[in-house]
Amino acid sequence: MDHEFVIDGARFTLAWEAEDDELLVVSIGDKILRANVCEISPSVYSVLVGDRAFAVFCACDRGIYHVFCNGQHFELAEPDDDSDGFLTGEGRTAADDLLIKAPMPGKVIKINVTEGEEVHRNQTLAIVEAMKMENEIKSALDGVVRKIHASPGELVDNFTPLIELARKE
Amino acid sequence: MFKKILIANRGEIAVRVMRGCRELGISTVGIYSDADRGSLHVQTADQAVSVGPAPAVESYLNMDRILQAARDTGAEAIHPGYGFLAENAEFVARCEDAGIVFIGPNSQAMALVGDKVRSRQTMEKAGIPIIPGMKGTLPDAESYSREADKIGYPVMIKASAGGGGKGMRIVRAQEELVAALEAGKREAKAAFGDESVYLEKYIEEPRHVEFQVLADNQGRTVHLFERECSIQRRHQKIVEETPSPALDADLQVEMGKTACRVMEVAGYNNAGTVEFLLDGRKNFYFLEVNARLQVEHPVTELVTGMDLVHQQIRLAAGEDLRLEQGTIVQKGHAIECRIYAEDPHNNFLPSSGRVLFLKEPAGPGIRHDGGIFTGCEVPIFYDPILAKLIVWAEDRERACRRMRKALDDYVILGIKTGIDFLKDVIDHPSFRRGETTTNFIPRFFSAWAGPEQSEEIRDLALLTAAYQSTRRSRPDSAAGSSRPDPVTPWSSLGKWRIGGK
Repeated sequence: MDHEFVIDGARFTLAWEAEDDELLVVSIGDKILRANVCEISPSVYSVLVGDRAFAVFCACDRGIYHVFCNGQHFELAEPDDDSDGFLTGEGRTAADDLLIKAPMPGKVIKINVTEGEEVHRNQTLAIVEAMKMENEIKSALDGVVRKIHASPGELVDNFTPLIELARKE
Repeated sequence: MFKKILIANRGEIAVRVMRGCRELGISTVGIYSDADRGSLHVQTADQAVSVGPAPAVESYLNMDRILQAARDTGAEAIHPGYGFLAENAEFVARCEDAGIVFIGPNSQAMALVGDKVRSRQTMEKAGIPIIPGMKGTLPDAESYSREADKIGYPVMIKASAGGGGKGMRIVRAQEELVAALEAGKREAKAAFGDESVYLEKYIEEPRHVEFQVLADNQGRTVHLFERECSIQRRHQKIVEETPSPALDADLQVEMGKTACRVMEVAGYNNAGTVEFLLDGRKNFYFLEVNARLQVEHPVTELVTGMDLVHQQIRLAAGEDLRLEQGTIVQKGHAIECRIYAEDPHNNFLPSSGRVLFLKEPAGPGIRHDGGIFTGCEVPIFYDPILAKLIVWAEDRERACRRMRKALDDYVILGIKTGIDFLKDVIDHPSFRRGETTTNFIPRFFSAWAGPEQSEEIRDLALLTAAYQSTRRSRPDSAAGSSRPDPVTPWSSLGKWRIGGK
């Protein structure tokens, strides 16, 4: 049985080699990992690798595994859910630069541009407020406003399209 | 003493104040907005009253609804916590008119210290050192521009009605002024319901040192020493400590006396904080009075052994201050880290959503003041503070080490927080040397890239996620686990069904 996860844009394949009550053997790439895993409660695991003991905390939400161990956080995405490159952290793409999305859930305070307006790089396009702090949404390129998708006062979710830009010819 | 107090706040501070009330045998009334029905402070309160829709202006800032809730429940006093109505003189006056005790200063003192412009003029006249260049609120952008030219750039825009970084902007050149004024006013309006802002000279490289003062209704004052709050990001404090690494005994005495004098001049009663800027040559300037219980009050509690909420309630009930300045001592060192819902890897944007799992650190010298729990929703409508982690140890170095370990033990899944960032702050050699100025974060952390992650731990993460996914997908394990769960009672209950016969 194989598992695939994406961490920060890198893909990992993990294969079940063997499992009994004592030991779980998996391979990750060309590495073999032998561990004794004990589920303490639905999000808490005690993992022994040899005699070294680790507490691992893991919870899954909408296809993302949030894992914490030894002070470190990892987000593991199931690759099937990777529709637009955002969830897997593959970084900004050219398409992201053209379609400006809300960076977090919040309220649109102001749209600073109008359709057809020329904008330059780093120009503030809109202001979105969340948790009482205003965040300026800036343009990543020189371009023209093609379409405005949101209006002031509107509550927006993560990744809700706000403004569409076109490249300057 | 009061029998019942209404706590006009939410989140960690409401929970902390309720705890203090209950310890004094006082029952508590919580208030909640539609977004907070499931919040921890509602679970903690003895009674809970809905005060309106999610936006704060319609709920936690809604004076009519809150006063009505106090009358309906028979609460004799209102504790405002911090933020929201905590420093709103109109609200204090309305409480006074309604015969409800406001746990904080009287309305006149509140109006004076809440008006940062007038309070500085008053303090200047009384011989308290103030920051150069202070003037009033002005009618239009041109007047602000002229004023800024007179003070000299960089200048700072600040909200007249509050603190906490809301509405605050540094302006380094004239062409930035108009946009910054606009944004500052909007933020001030949204946070405090009052859009007035003012300008002041921006002092580079200062330390932010504040003194906790207690004043009784008869005008007696004592101070409970300082808190150093210089570690700030975007004018928002993130790490606070006491004692300050910057004060020697003489300076501490002088600043403490000045702080008490400020409160006496203001006619202040109850607990309050006097903020100073301290420059590199040990000049200190009065900034403002925070007329409330501060977010960072626990560090003072840990080194003085005093409970500030108890003190506030006793003073509000009219008891005399029974403390002598000479008998109040600082013991050991305390540090607080604020746990905000924010993404340090994505420009510290607020992070809202559900806390999938929480395990707060515990152990000797560790205190956690939180408003969250496993399964809670963090709404987008309010301040992003989730909790405060506070440690005490015999000295500063030990306190740093204790804090560092506690941050490592802080497990929160599903919501992004600044914990990784805080670890690197505590680890920084300049922080360890006590070289804490308000420029610390911009100087050392503007290019912060996040923690290094170990391959071994990453592999364990992969293994555990795969293990969990396998267990969940097996059809024979309805509870998501094929083993009997060793810590919950459910496995020993036998067969049962919700609504079963």
